[in-house]
Amino acid sequence: MPATFARYARIWLASIRYSLVRAMMFRGDFLMWALVEFFWMSVNVLLVGIIYEHTDSIAGWSKYEMLLLVGSTLLVQRLLMAFFWSNLFELGRNVRSGHFDFFLAQPGAPLFMISTRKFDLDGLVNVPVALAVVLYAAHQLQLHPGPGQIAAYVLFIACGLALHFATLLTIISLVFWLQSAKGIEIGYFSLTEFSRLPRESLRGITAVIFVYALPVVIVSNVPARVLIHGFEPVYAAWLLAATVFWVAVALTVFHAGLRRYASASS
Amino acid sequence: MSAIAKYRQVFLTGLQTNLVYRWNFAIRAAFSLLHLVYVFTLWGAAYAGKAEIGGFALGATLTYFTLLLVLQFFLSAANDDYEISEEIRNGLINQFLTKPINYLGYRLSLFFSARLVAGSLALLPVLAALPLLGKYLVFPGTEHLPLYLVAIPALLLAAFIQFIIAYCFGLLTFWFLEIQSFIILSLAVESVLGGQIFPLDLMPGWLYELSRWLPYYYQMYFPAALLTGRITDLGFALQGLVIQTGWAIALLFLAQALWKRGLRRHTAVGG
Repeated sequence: MPATFARYARIWLASIRYSLVRAMMFRGDFLMWALVEFFWMSVNVLLVGIIYEHTDSIAGWSKYEMLLLVGSTLLVQRLLMAFFWSNLFELGRNVRSGHFDFFLAQPGAPLFMISTRKFDLDGLVNVPVALAVVLYAAHQLQLHPGPGQIAAYVLFIACGLALHFATLLTIISLVFWLQSAKGIEIGYFSLTEFSRLPRESLRGITAVIFVYALPVVIVSNVPARVLIHGFEPVYAAWLLAATVFWVAVALTVFHAGLRRYASASS
Repeated sequence: MSAIAKYRQVFLTGLQTNLVYRWNFAIRAAFSLLHLVYVFTLWGAAYAGKAEIGGFALGATLTYFTLLLVLQFFLSAANDDYEISEEIRNGLINQFLTKPINYLGYRLSLFFSARLVAGSLALLPVLAALPLLGKYLVFPGTEHLPLYLVAIPALLLAAFIQFIIAYCFGLLTFWFLEIQSFIILSLAVESVLGGQIFPLDLMPGWLYELSRWLPYYYQMYFPAALLTGRITDLGFALQGLVIQTGWAIALLFLAQALWKRGLRRHTAVGG
């Protein structure tokens, strides 16, 4: 088991090294993409700024609490962009073109091989920016989290990354049933928009769907709450259980699709 | 074959091609309803205890975002920039250099066919959700008729500006190998200055005034604001229409210049 883990770690590191070399070969492209991601992050922060120009509270959350929530979402998304986005996005195209065969022929678990082939440095360089948004908001709120709270925040962000990965994988895996994955990635963006909302803003049927049935709200609310209100065991258990469940769902959908896949290469 | 018959044929072929991907359009449209739920939740919470924000009631703001969603499918250039880029990179544009067909006219015909399919399919989930949405939607009455009339050319020009910007980005492939980052960056600017993230009239006054002189304002916000009563002054609307027409003409000239200069760099290979 440790030997297998070490082998996969070596493969991932080799992929990251290759991606870094490639990013440095196309420095202009790298800078442009880093700028693109930075701009999209600014759009989210700008929306918070504009709304709070006209109101003091959204569902009981103050401006800087909301900024902390948005910053936590951005942090998870930048990590997803850095490590997994390109890989899963290309899964849709590869299944259609038959290039997916290439991954099946590799000496490793197909999901690992497709998920770790590329690493986007432009996503990673914006992680400190997202972190700066979180730190700025925490400073404005005069929060002084202890080591336990910080450790819990890091763990919850990791759970968030796993949940975002599971959401994206489930949506992209639909390509095994559809003729093309063109445009279906919008599903991921539509769902993850809810992670920028305070849980208290959702009521009735929307709360049932987006808070309790789908993990799209708790994924950001739980990390933000641990910094604002301290460790809450119920929320922690909820997020951990949701992570395990939704990763299992994503794996099931992906493997069902894999069984359906008919090789397309000559 | 007459010019009209030629481009009509391209339009019909475009309809068939886009209908192949009807499920993808339908899924995208269904997911966009989720965006509407997000918008309703966010703005509903922001309006809690307030009659107005920026001079507009909750209903007016929700109507604006609902209309924006429908307009996006009818007006936005979805994949045209990428398709043009692919055609340049793969040498598929070579055939347009020797045949009696204008590439811009060809792409514009395909754009309209794609918008018709996407827009029609996007209407279905919105219509299905109308019993739920209906109580939130508030449109201006008959006293707003002159502004509705201004909205008709504004919508057509908005679609043209959307297309021509995508066309220009596609033509950048003559100079750059990858144009995706330019497109996504432009999309981000367009989302903010086109009023897709928040109504532009909520921005500070100086920023709103500045945005009126940029083409993004006329891609989505301007027709949506005319139709939902966010713009009520006829003189202001007509001034906007003049600026919008100016941008459409300027961008058309830019596109023609890019095409001519780009072709000088282009090397057609193959038999």
